Amino acid sequence: MQPSDQARRRLHPLSPVLRGSRFVALVVLAISWQGLANLGIRRWAIAVGAIAVVILVWSVLSYLVTGYQVLGRELRIAEGLLVRRNRSIPLERLQSVELVQPLLPRLFGLAELRLEVVGGGRAEAPLAYLTLDQATALRQRLLHLSTGRPAPIADAPPGQTVRADLPAVTTAAAPSEQVVHVVDNGRLLGCQLLRPQWWLLPLGVTATILDTLTDSHLGFIGLASMVTGVIGAVSAPVRVLLADWGFTLATAGDGLRIRRGLLERRSSTVPEGRIQSVVVEWPLLWRPFGWVRANMHVAGVRVEREQARAGLLPVASVPEAETVIGHALPGVVLREIAIRPVPDRAKWLDPLQRHVIGYQLGPAAFASRHGLLTRRLVIVPYARIQSVRVHQGPLQRMLRLASVFVDVAGVGASGLAQHLDVAEARAIALELAERSRAARRAPLPA
Amino acid sequence: MTVFSIWPDDVVWRRVCSRLYWRAVVVRAVWLVILAGVAGGGWYRYANWVAPLVAGGLALLILVRLIFVIRSLRSWGYAERHDDLLVRHGLLFRRLSIVPYGRMQFVDVTAGPLDRLFGLATVQLHTAAAASDARIPGLAPDEAARLRDRLAALGEARAAGL
Repeated sequence: MQPSDQARRRLHPLSPVLRGSRFVALVVLAISWQGLANLGIRRWAIAVGAIAVVILVWSVLSYLVTGYQVLGRELRIAEGLLVRRNRSIPLERLQSVELVQPLLPRLFGLAELRLEVVGGGRAEAPLAYLTLDQATALRQRLLHLSTGRPAPIADAPPGQTVRADLPAVTTAAAPSEQVVHVVDNGRLLGCQLLRPQWWLLPLGVTATILDTLTDSHLGFIGLASMVTGVIGAVSAPVRVLLADWGFTLATAGDGLRIRRGLLERRSSTVPEGRIQSVVVEWPLLWRPFGWVRANMHVAGVRVEREQARAGLLPVASVPEAETVIGHALPGVVLREIAIRPVPDRAKWLDPLQRHVIGYQLGPAAFASRHGLLTRRLVIVPYARIQSVRVHQGPLQRMLRLASVFVDVAGVGASGLAQHLDVAEARAIALELAERSRAARRAPLPA
Repeated sequence: MTVFSIWPDDVVWRRVCSRLYWRAVVVRAVWLVILAGVAGGGWYRYANWVAPLVAGGLALLILVRLIFVIRSLRSWGYAERHDDLLVRHGLLFRRLSIVPYGRMQFVDVTAGPLDRLFGLATVQLHTAAAASDARIPGLAPDEAARLRDRLAALGEARAAGL
C-alpha cells in the first residue's frame, strides 16, 4: 500500500436518516392525499410509521455497505445493498468537484461531494453525506491528486502519523483562496426583475380579473390558471435568486472555485484547464445597464437550462466579466476581442444579424458572436478545440460564403462563425487546426 | 485569385472505392425491376395505361436522381495530413471536417449487409465533441483496415487530454 492510500471509510452516521427522511416525506405526502380520509387517523398513523421504519431500515443497511477509499490516484466507491457496485474513478480524469449543502444537512454541518468525470449524464460519484471538514479535506485531496501534484499529506513532518481526515492538517495546508469577484446581491435581484415574464405578469392578471368580472361562471378556472401562471413566471427568477445568492468566484491553488446559494450552499471547483468554452451573453433588457452574464462549459457537466443559470457569472459589468474570464481562460481579454464583420453580401442570408455575427482569431482563443435579442459571444481556447468543420449550403455557394464550426468536448457551446467569405473560411479553418495543434503541444495541463 | 471552393486544393484527396457507385446503381436497378413488375402486372390485369405511366414517371425520377447520387458520392474524399484528417463531401450542401489525430477517442469500422456484398466499409472517427463529423463511407475493406490502424497509431502518438 502506498503511503498516500487511505483506509476504506464510511459516510457520516446521520446520512441514512437524512436521505431516508426525504423519501419518507414524499411517501407520507402521497398517501395523505387520499389516505387520511379513507383510513382514519389511527390506521393512517400506523401505515406511515411502518413505511418510515422500512425506509429507515433500508437506508441504514445501505449506509452500512457504502464506503469510499482513495487508492493511489483512484477513488473507489462501494455501494448497493442488492446489487453491489464497486466504482473506481481515475482522478486524472476529474473534470470538476462540487460540494453541496442542502438546507437540512447544512443544519447538521454535513455536505455532499459530487465528482464529475467525462462520459456520464449525471454526477458520477455523489458522496452524501460527509461532515463539512471531511468533505473539504477530501475535495482538496482529490483535486491535488487529479493535477498530479503531491498530496498535502506528504508535507507533514516525518515520524508523525497523520490522518487524512484531521481537520487541522487541511486548514493548515489549504491553498490560500483568493476572491476574484463577488456578485452584488442587489444587482442579482435587479437583473432577475428585468426578465420579460415580469412585464407580462400584470397584463395576464388584469386580463383574468376582467374576464372573471364579466363572465362569472368561468371565474374559478380562470383564477386557478392565473395562479399557476403567476407561480410559473415567478418561480424561475426566484430559483435563480436562491441558487446564485452570494455568488463568489475565487481562485484556489487547485482551480477556479465558485460558491453560491442562499438555502442550499454549493461550492464547485473546476481544476485549471478544464473549461472547454465560455459564453458571454448580453440579454436585450440588460443592455441599458451594461450587464452581461457568462456561462462556462465543462466536459461531463450537464448544461443547466440555458435561460435559468449562468455557471460563471450571473450578472456583472463588462470590466468585471473581463477579470473573471481572464481567470477562467488565461490569456483571454474580453474587451480586446474585436469581432471581424462578415462580408456585406451576407445581408441576403441574414439581414437582421449581419452586423452582429462575426469572429476573431485571438491570441489564445477563437471568439465568435451571434444572436439578435440575446447576443452571445462564444470563446473557445485553441487548446480545447476538438474538431473544425466548414459548411456551405446552396445559397451560401451562390454568394461565395461559408460557415465555420469549432467543436469542443461535450454537447453544445461550440464556436460558430457564419457567412464568411469562402477563402477566409477555408483559411481560418486550416489556421484553427494549426493553432489548436500548437496549443496542444504547449505545456498546458490537459 | 478568387477561391470558389471550401475544399483545400493543396492536399491529396483520396476518393472512395468505385464499387460504392455500383452499389447505388444496383440498388436502383432492383427498384426499377420491381417497378417494371408492378407496371406489367397492372397493365395485364386492368389493361389500362395508368400503372405503366406512373411507373415510368417514377423510373425516370429514379434515373435522374441516380445521376445526382453518383455525383454526390464522387464528392466524398479524405486527406491524411501530418496532424489531422480532412474529410469532405456534399454536392448541394458542402462539408469539410478537420479532425486532429490527437483528439480521436475511438474509430468505428462498420459494414452493413449490402456493403459486405459489394466489399465496402465505413470508417468513422469519434472525438469527445458530439458535433464532430468525420465519416468516410465506401472504403475497400483493406483500405478501411489500413486507415483504422493508421488512425489508431497516430491517435496514440499524438494523444492529448481534453
